[in-house]
Amino acid sequence: MAPKFIKEIVNRVVPASAFALSVARVVVHATFLISVLIASFSALGRLPITILRPTGAMRLLPWSFYDQLLTPAGMMILKLAMVVSLVAGMIGFLTPISTKTSFLLVLFYQGLLRSFGHFNHDEMLAVFCLAVLAFTPCGDEFSLDKRLRKNRRDRPAFAYAYPILLMQLLMAWTYFSSALIKLRVSGLTYLTQNNLPALAIYHSLDNLHDTSFRIAFWLPQIKEYLPFFVGLVLLWEFLFPVAVFFPRLRWLILGGGVIFHLSTLFLMNIFFPHQLALYLLFIDWDRFSSSRSEAPTDTIP
Amino acid sequence: MTRLHLKYAILTAAIFLPLIWAFVEIRNLYPVATWNVMMAGGLLERGRSYWILRGETVSGETIDIRPMSLTNAMYARTWTMVNATVDNQSFKLPHPHPANAELLRQAGGLEHLPPGARVPDLLRAWGDLYNERLPASSPQRLKAIRLDMYRWEGGSFANYDKFIESWRQNL
Repeated sequence: MAPKFIKEIVNRVVPASAFALSVARVVVHATFLISVLIASFSALGRLPITILRPTGAMRLLPWSFYDQLLTPAGMMILKLAMVVSLVAGMIGFLTPISTKTSFLLVLFYQGLLRSFGHFNHDEMLAVFCLAVLAFTPCGDEFSLDKRLRKNRRDRPAFAYAYPILLMQLLMAWTYFSSALIKLRVSGLTYLTQNNLPALAIYHSLDNLHDTSFRIAFWLPQIKEYLPFFVGLVLLWEFLFPVAVFFPRLRWLILGGGVIFHLSTLFLMNIFFPHQLALYLLFIDWDRFSSSRSEAPTDTIP
Repeated sequence: MTRLHLKYAILTAAIFLPLIWAFVEIRNLYPVATWNVMMAGGLLERGRSYWILRGETVSGETIDIRPMSLTNAMYARTWTMVNATVDNQSFKLPHPHPANAELLRQAGGLEHLPPGARVPDLLRAWGDLYNERLPASSPQRLKAIRLDMYRWEGGSFANYDKFIESWRQNL
């Protein structure tokens, strides 16, 4: 028996069906599949290995391994392995295996990218969601495995509901802890007039960012209003857990998130598409399921 | 507690305990992340350097080149890759790549290494990638590629483009 308060929360805030967890599997795997398909791995393999700086756990691997991998051919093999694994994970084929291989391959690939550049956070939440999916029964519905299986698996609804809650809590943590850290490090000086324009202009000066929007140069003209805007963003980050626990307010918080991430794109040339894609985890997918009646019980007894 | 609940409790702890450690320490240790995004904000008084990648074509034009169009997998991390390369950060690892260790030995130590010791390698890779997309006879092919460094001294919202130096690589 799960603790009573956990069951009450789960019953109230997340769908408790195999279908809903399976859709989460599709969303997370498809997000990475798209980004892997559009990325040129062979071009990545042309970057000089002498500028690589293995970060964190990536230092456990020897240089001889990176020497072999960081070639156009080596990177194409990595891409092929990732595409096969992510497609299998997405369609739910050999799910207990493919979700784990997807997690490990994406974990390695994201570490490789961060070993060239900085530790940016866009994909990290999705990496943690892959970890959750790798160890939960996310292939019981909406999967090839289900079609190939003769006997239906009966599990308690909690087995499907809790992983969804866990992924939603992870997203809430990213925003909530981000707001706390800003106040820990900068205190109220974070709300000064020049903060946002200086940061936004810096990210608009070069041609090394993904986009070249120049709206940032207009911000100094309205800088007296910006502390209010920055304060509103901080408040929104603090309140993000509301999206998990109060479904009625969810769309207000998530709508604010879409506006926030689009704002950072146009003002700072910084975008978080992977994080935005994971907003789909907050949709009650059971509403769209024709087989909902076949799913295990909707509430946890 | 059933086996399922125990499994989920372990999964939750395995994910959240490292995240809480990273939050307390404000430290990213891959794959453990702390969401310290833009935590310091932008100090107007602080000067900042930035870079623009440019190419010199066979026809004599100077054109801006977006690295994102050459190595798009790096997405959102290109600017810090250049920053780190100019700062010779790959030479500051406890165990640098053997080729970097050899260059360090030849130079006589990190303090004798010029800034951006590996920038020419990066420029050559980008230049080759750019030219390979064009026919051999194209006047738009690059004969050289360069990384121009500028500095915004800060203190005011003006004078953003003080030229500092340039790295140039013939192709």
